[in-house]
Amino acid sequence: MIASRGLVLTLYVLAAVIAVALPFGVGPLGVNLMLRAGSIVLLGISWNLAANAGLISLGHSTFWGLGSYAALLMADRLGWSFAASIVPAAALGAAVAVALAVITGRLRGIYFAIATLALSEGLRAMAVMLPDVTGGGAGIFISQELRPDARTVAIVTGLGAVGACVIAHLLSRTPFHYACRAMRNNEHSAQMLGINPLRIRVTVLALSGAIASFAGAVNIWYGGFLDPDIGFDLHITILAQIGPILGGINTLAGPIIGGLATLAISELSRSWLGAQGYSLLVYGAILIVAILYMPDGIAGALRRLRPAPPARSIGS
Amino acid sequence: MSLILQCLLDSVLLGGLYSLMAVGLSLGFGITRIINFAYGEFIMLGAYGAFFCSTLMGIDPLLSLPLVAAGVALIAAIIFQLCLGRALRAAPINQILLLFGVGLVLQNVAAILWTGDARSVTTSYSLSGEQVGDITISDGRVVAFLLAVLLIAILLMWLHRTELGRATRAVAQNRQAAVLMGINVTFIYLLSFALNAALGAATGAISSFLLTITPFMGFHMLVKSFAIVVLGGLGSIAGTLAGAFVLAFAETVVAYYVPEGIGWAEGVAFVVLLLVLIVRPQGILGQSEGVA
Amino acid sequence: MRSGSVGVGRSLAALAGMVLLGGILSVAARADDTVRIGAPLELSGRFVTYGAQTKRGIEMAVDTFGGSVNGKKIEVLFRDVQSNNQDAVTAFIDLASQQKIDFMIGPVASGIVAATVPAWRQSKPLWIVPGSSSTQLEDGMKGENLFFHTYPWAYNYHDGTAEALAQVVGAGKKVAIIYSDGGYGREQLPWAKEFYTKAGFNIVATELVREGAADLNPVLQRLRQLKPDVLVGIVQTIDGIQLAKQVQVAKLNIPFLVGTAYPQLAEWSGALGPEAADGWIGATTYLPGMDRPADPTHPKLFPAMHDWEAAFRARYNRDPEFLDVTSYTSTMLLLLAIDEAASTDKEKVAAKLASLDVKTMLGSSKFAPTPGGAMHQAFGQMVVFQRQGNKFVIAFPADAADGKLIPRK
Repeated sequence: MIASRGLVLTLYVLAAVIAVALPFGVGPLGVNLMLRAGSIVLLGISWNLAANAGLISLGHSTFWGLGSYAALLMADRLGWSFAASIVPAAALGAAVAVALAVITGRLRGIYFAIATLALSEGLRAMAVMLPDVTGGGAGIFISQELRPDARTVAIVTGLGAVGACVIAHLLSRTPFHYACRAMRNNEHSAQMLGINPLRIRVTVLALSGAIASFAGAVNIWYGGFLDPDIGFDLHITILAQIGPILGGINTLAGPIIGGLATLAISELSRSWLGAQGYSLLVYGAILIVAILYMPDGIAGALRRLRPAPPARSIGS
Repeated sequence: MSLILQCLLDSVLLGGLYSLMAVGLSLGFGITRIINFAYGEFIMLGAYGAFFCSTLMGIDPLLSLPLVAAGVALIAAIIFQLCLGRALRAAPINQILLLFGVGLVLQNVAAILWTGDARSVTTSYSLSGEQVGDITISDGRVVAFLLAVLLIAILLMWLHRTELGRATRAVAQNRQAAVLMGINVTFIYLLSFALNAALGAATGAISSFLLTITPFMGFHMLVKSFAIVVLGGLGSIAGTLAGAFVLAFAETVVAYYVPEGIGWAEGVAFVVLLLVLIVRPQGILGQSEGVA
Repeated sequence: MRSGSVGVGRSLAALAGMVLLGGILSVAARADDTVRIGAPLELSGRFVTYGAQTKRGIEMAVDTFGGSVNGKKIEVLFRDVQSNNQDAVTAFIDLASQQKIDFMIGPVASGIVAATVPAWRQSKPLWIVPGSSSTQLEDGMKGENLFFHTYPWAYNYHDGTAEALAQVVGAGKKVAIIYSDGGYGREQLPWAKEFYTKAGFNIVATELVREGAADLNPVLQRLRQLKPDVLVGIVQTIDGIQLAKQVQVAKLNIPFLVGTAYPQLAEWSGALGPEAADGWIGATTYLPGMDRPADPTHPKLFPAMHDWEAAFRARYNRDPEFLDVTSYTSTMLLLLAIDEAASTDKEKVAAKLASLDVKTMLGSSKFAPTPGGAMHQAFGQMVVFQRQGNKFVIAFPADAADGKLIPRK
């Protein structure tokens, strides 16, 4: 189904309006959930962008943590405000991502993935071992005066998530999208088609890193406290992947649907079973079942339910 | 400086332990090309198995090790049949998350059944040491080292001398050709997964008297095994052994000679890993296609 | 990728679902005839041991109190924070800001508590934290009237121990300190150095170890060469097990081995066996088998230690531990305060709580400000004990002592 540009534009504007208005209509818990939903969507889109080009990241907490620490240190050492710190934090994420892309050169598949894992664990060790710079294991609180209203942060997160969707959407309309797909399938062959893999890698990773760092920075402004376990939490790496995989990797809606579904499962299982301590267990079980029986994710399962599209199809 | 001899000794002993820990993961990956993200939990189950054999029945971990390894291998085989069969042809990332989910379930079942309290097995040799001049030799670590050597030797013999072992290597080298030769590849995959779990459980049984047992002990060991396997070369057992000793030496030397070294030692592991990946991605002894 | 509008449409649907979910989760049984207490605790994940103990203490306190106060039923809303910061923040906001619960107990693990402090500021309920020794927390809660801390702070561990040791070991002796690289170790280190120096010791080494490290031998071998008289291990329980084990193996022959809280834990000594655990010194406010009498005014709520321990064992079929006792006592104090204030207004209850003077199993319940600025601290007075053979011997302060510190073999 190819919809008109107008319809798509309307839907995005609508989403943006909701992002701005929603925090005023729901209570504090709603704002918190909105923030978490926005974060998980941002992470999912970020991860998906890289995965689309064949770059599977097992260390996405790297960028989240970098963004968090950048924002924290700007607030704590330089006294910068929420608004001032966001862009530099995202820029740092992009810069490190570019460095990663250049350093890992032609590493593909599992080797690239392991490199990302190594980077995230290494950064966590550094955060712990350099307490004069990062506050170390004890962590740092953002001072009360600098902290913005929770609703403001939620709005920024929501708009950021919408913005990330727009970016991903626009990219999917350009030849860039096909270049990524080619790279995902076979990087050598892609080169023969005139694609410059390094340039694609750098672009993709820079975007991916910037978005994830943005998410980390915004989150720390909401949370008000950071230590290495929060910043470079393995949980974040997992979260970044579960959304796209559950929702359908390499689709536009996948990271969004999957991310929101993950949050919903997590919250529901916690509120129904939480007191018993079984919630993590159920979460893992659901993960297993979902991957076993929905290998193409929710988007894939939904696709199978729709009647077959006409001969010309854009979807992958 | 007499610390040098002590440092060397500690490195070697640690290398032995790391070897056993990583070989299980390496074997599993070399054959099935699936990274077992639940490997850490198999180690954990082995540790708890040895712990309960020791406290409930008074059996020393060294004696209960075969039993524990077999038990965990059985659990792994069941998991394989239930879950992995379907996922064998799925995208690698799906397999990773699937096994991660399995690991999450195992961790939390363990925490619910056995609580989060830290445990350890105390044996006659786990707390004693020999003093030779300026050097302290930990009996427990020597026992672990010898056991690791023994188990790896048995594994290598099995791989090279038995029919089944050779079939396994064949599958690792060339899956299609193995099928053509009449080897039941799915069975080999099942066997490898179980073997991977058994080796992990053996590591766990040894860890039960060397280290502290908690339901969450596994992930850390998984990540380290991962680093070692890549360092040595995916799919090469000899490489894994080399990688284990290289890492053990690097970590111990840093711990002894760098200020606050133990803190940095973990980071060193990953710096080394990154360097290897950049300079020689196939690892010390691996080949580009990862042949066992 | 799929065509855009379908994706966006689905996404909006998913978003609507999230709003609905938020709505479902926000709906709370808001009955006015109950007194609600929020308890966001680590009921799964790596801090499950602490959360489980705290839960037991709370439940036992509520039942012992009779299940209702001021004629209203007591309802404790437990939430599992999964030992995860984001979940802890969500749970706290749900309970305190969304459901407007005025009385909160927990979380207890230092990192998790720190993460929930900003969430607490949104609605500032009366908050009892029977955990977290982090002075970071103390600093963050300076001057806050609704914050009640019923657990020792990092510095409490060391002033008594250093003084007790100085009396036995003598002046000018050598102390080596091992500390872990997490918040726990780094926070306590400066305090340990200060108190041991003040007590007249010579600090010859401060060595860092990684939390969860598998081999502490490099540090121990370096220390061997310095021949310290006292070794202080500022580490968490799991590392404490590894440390004690390897100290035993390395035959360091250091006469005095000092831990923080862990030498009293059954978990620690069980993992080590009697030989390696023997002789370790620690500080605590609660030791199993201590002889603390009942409170004369409220003997049923604050029974004698022996009686309470027996009741605990009968109920849960296990020996009580430090956090069981702490959370029982904290909850009971809260319930008593609500009862005596005859109100559920948090300010009134806080005022009453701050003024209670009850003899509990952990000592006097009088809350007092700390030098660090926290307004309400109770149970910071610690006793110094040593494991001698199968027993705990209390060596300090003099009025609680029933023995002396002795060097290891």
